[in-house]
Amino acid sequence: MPQKVASGAVAWERRERGGRYYTRSWRRNGRVVREYVGTGPFAQIIASSDRTRRELKKAEWEQERDRQVRDMERLEALAAPLEELSEVAEVLAHAHLLDAGYHRRKGEYRRARGER
Amino acid sequence: MPEVNAKAKPPGALEFSEDAKGRLTELRTVSEKAEAGDRYARKRLRRLVHSSSPEIIAQASDVAGSAAWMLIKTISAGEPLMQEALQERMRQMRAEIAGENPTPLEVLLTERVVAGWLLVEVLESLISAQYQRDVTTYRVPPGHIIQQSRILESATRRYLAAVRELARVRNLQVWGRRRSRPE
Repeated sequence: MPQKVASGAVAWERRERGGRYYTRSWRRNGRVVREYVGTGPFAQIIASSDRTRRELKKAEWEQERDRQVRDMERLEALAAPLEELSEVAEVLAHAHLLDAGYHRRKGEYRRARGER
Repeated sequence: MPEVNAKAKPPGALEFSEDAKGRLTELRTVSEKAEAGDRYARKRLRRLVHSSSPEIIAQASDVAGSAAWMLIKTISAGEPLMQEALQERMRQMRAEIAGENPTPLEVLLTERVVAGWLLVEVLESLISAQYQRDVTTYRVPPGHIIQQSRILESATRRYLAAVRELARVRNLQVWGRRRSRPE
């Protein structure tokens, strides 16, 4: 049974006869397909190129994720002052209406009997 | 999304002072007591409304102004013509919504409505701009879309609540004035 040497998404398999064999896997129609690339310097070059491609993809993904986090923070920061303002306005309006002789019942304001 | 640092405070941006925050907390507490039927609290509320309101309303209007300016800068992405057009649109909206001789509270509630409208517009355009990106290169993850939608939904809800609150205060004030007018 060949022993797998994990290297990210690809693997170097150690053969019983000795030496290592470079393979790479991917999904096609929901099934894992493995490609046997080769051994020796040629396989080293392919493996190195695959690693670079993977690292670039990861860097791009991280960059995109950071950008999304920044976008989200920006949206939240834009909304924050309005949230504070809304809260203040609610407190003030409520206090003014109470002072004007209204009382709140089930979310609706009514004039209290005998008030001003 | 335009690269405007919304977290950085714009020049002249104001936040509520500690004093105003303290007064607000007091106003909230006393309102709750007055609502529960505490007669002493009701008298105290009257004093507080008269002594604290102008200061808090002034600060809240400044906060609304700063927030609106930040939103205008974000959506216009530094285009002076767009900035000017939006400021003019907001001036018109304020005048139209506040009407003639608004009370200070009505002015504040108007500021809230106008700033809320602008926030919804800005969020809608920023979010929709993201979906116009080439989807073959990168798909926006569903979690991100859900989070954005929540922010927009919350802003829309607050905006509608602001419109309702202004209408309610105006109606009750008018009704109260009519009732207190001598026959």
